[in-house]
Amino acid sequence: MVDREEILPKYWYNVIPDLPKPLPPPRDPPEAEFSRIDLLRKIMPKEVLRQQFTVERFIKIPEDVRNAYLNIGRPTPLLRAKRLEEMLGTPAKIYFKFEGATPTGSHKINTALPQAYFAKEEGINHVVTETGAGQWGTAVALSARMFDMNATVFMVRVSYEQKPQRRTIMQLYGADVYASPTNLTEFGRKILAENKDHPGSLGIAMSEAIEFALKNEIKYLVGSVLDVAILHQSVIGLEAIRQLDELGEEPDVLIGCVGGGSNFGGFTFPFYGAKKGKKFIAVGSYEIPKFSKGDYVYDFPDTAGLLPQVKMITLGKDYVPPPIYAGGLRYHGAAPSLSLLIKEKVVEWREYSEPEIFEAAKLFMRAQGIIPAPESAHAIKAVIDEALEAKKTNEKRVIVFNLSGHGLLDLPNYESMMKRSLK
Amino acid sequence: MRKMLVSYMTLGYPNVEGYLEFIDGAISQGSDVLEVGMKPKFAKYDGPVIRKSYKAVNLSEGDTWELLKETRKRSNVPTIVLTYLEDWLGKLDEFLSRLREVGVDGVLFPDLIIDFTDEYDKYVKVIRDHGLKAVIFTSPSVPDAMIHDLSKNSDLFLYYGVRPTTGVPIPVSVDSLITRVRTLVENKLVVGFGLSDVEDMKKALRAGADGIAIGTAYIEEVEKRGVKSAISLVKYFRGVLDEF
Ligand SMILES: Cc1ncc(COP(=O)(O)O)c(C=O)c1O
Repeated sequence: MVDREEILPKYWYNVIPDLPKPLPPPRDPPEAEFSRIDLLRKIMPKEVLRQQFTVERFIKIPEDVRNAYLNIGRPTPLLRAKRLEEMLGTPAKIYFKFEGATPTGSHKINTALPQAYFAKEEGINHVVTETGAGQWGTAVALSARMFDMNATVFMVRVSYEQKPQRRTIMQLYGADVYASPTNLTEFGRKILAENKDHPGSLGIAMSEAIEFALKNEIKYLVGSVLDVAILHQSVIGLEAIRQLDELGEEPDVLIGCVGGGSNFGGFTFPFYGAKKGKKFIAVGSYEIPKFSKGDYVYDFPDTAGLLPQVKMITLGKDYVPPPIYAGGLRYHGAAPSLSLLIKEKVVEWREYSEPEIFEAAKLFMRAQGIIPAPESAHAIKAVIDEALEAKKTNEKRVIVFNLSGHGLLDLPNYESMMKRSLK
Repeated sequence: MRKMLVSYMTLGYPNVEGYLEFIDGAISQGSDVLEVGMKPKFAKYDGPVIRKSYKAVNLSEGDTWELLKETRKRSNVPTIVLTYLEDWLGKLDEFLSRLREVGVDGVLFPDLIIDFTDEYDKYVKVIRDHGLKAVIFTSPSVPDAMIHDLSKNSDLFLYYGVRPTTGVPIPVSVDSLITRVRTLVENKLVVGFGLSDVEDMKKALRAGADGIAIGTAYIEEVEKRGVKSAISLVKYFRGVLDEF
């Protein structure tokens, strides 16, 4: 057995040099009254921005960040879902990388830590971000604490009200949490003036966080979508490759869920770069149908349009997700690198509805005991379908998926799914 | 071998006389290639400085061609036109013939590889069929295998823009970016985009670049201190290159 420290990678992997086509760069919109690309210099930690644009295949992970990764329990376990295989009666082998094992309960900490570290190295003592369900906000709150910084989090209003526990955790870590739209920013006030009961959206919360960063001359941490977040997440896939090697397994199918695309990219891209795996499946939600209904165009990552436009599969920056839906994955776009790989048919996509993912989540809980995040339940549903297909064709395929988070703080979501399913 | 200085100026900026004065100066002070920016509808990959310079120019179509002709008459170095392919799609043959007529040597479309990936070789062929050089623009967001192929396909040199937009000093490690592609590029490698910092330039040259392309720095200088001062900047950059 090799030890933990050896499995934890020393480098992050960037897929861009290995893509089949050029990745369209972030750009300023036509007739821009100010340069968003220039604005990035004010809001992002300098080293994060450098990593976003200094595209190299491998970038060294600073020793302090590696130590922080070890401290939160990386490498995360690669587990075999033996009982799930048995319950499905499939000849396929199912493995999962369990990112729910980190203290904050999801993969988000993998990029929050380095971004907070780089901000700290730059002499910043306060960071700000947005959050939807609260997974990213929690990761930022803990990372800021680990490097002795203050954190402010703009949390989408519906989640703020429906997810008081996640808010409590952020506050316990010492962060200030606000329900977005707030009246702390010009953009928030504008939205509230139009509709004082606006439920909020990730795009709006993002715009508020960026405006807050600018006003207070502090740094904004980016949770997904941009290449640098996916770069940091590559620890997931790099570890998984080592862990599968140790077991002597060759993966056939790799599966992950997609909000902005960071856990999917972090998990699958290192496999793609190492020419491992025959099939990649990105799973989104049927209720937020970016893959089936979205366009592949230049769009803003945030609703106010403060960030540069990126070319991605998107439902539009003003998209507001259906309020009753509890399955997560509510972001309007998918990361540019992932969008390109989908357009090039390297990555396949699926969309599943709330009842489908709810059934998948229950089956997984009953088989393996772990309560998955509703987001991750999307991946589980695809895993089950693949395993059942393997049963039909009697194939011994090896399916590996990323269990991006646990769902212990998403029980209100499951309760509402339970109520809806009884109707 | 002498390192290449590729000097960019927006056609007709700041006005016709000032522009021609700069062109004469840029040549006499040691530019190896002139890059002339033709006002596009949407300067997709240009930063605020070059975008503003385009706004400042208001040449009629006739004047544009006249001025290009005049540029070519005065220059004894390869002179290429930089503009976005998107604007010329319906009338590319006519456009390229016109360029050839006024004596321009070649053309560089910054959006060729990014927005027309699947057809780029078709366009390269069209450009060459009109007797023009096709200078290909690449960047770190172009995958390695493709940079290698493009490098063999580009005329005069391969252009490698190290930042996402011109003129905005996004922090990047120029040396790492060049190290990544140097062995892939079977051509002269000219580095540009946001290079005005001399330390950055030296890093690029040490890492193996064969030349440097400069634009925004001249335009800013014209804006702040005038054309003569921008010409001195050409001389200064020439000196930096000649140290290598
Ligand atoms: C547990 C979990 N998985 C997945 C996602 C989706 O985000 P991404 O696609 O960036 O991984 C989120 C987003 O908040 C999440 O909390």
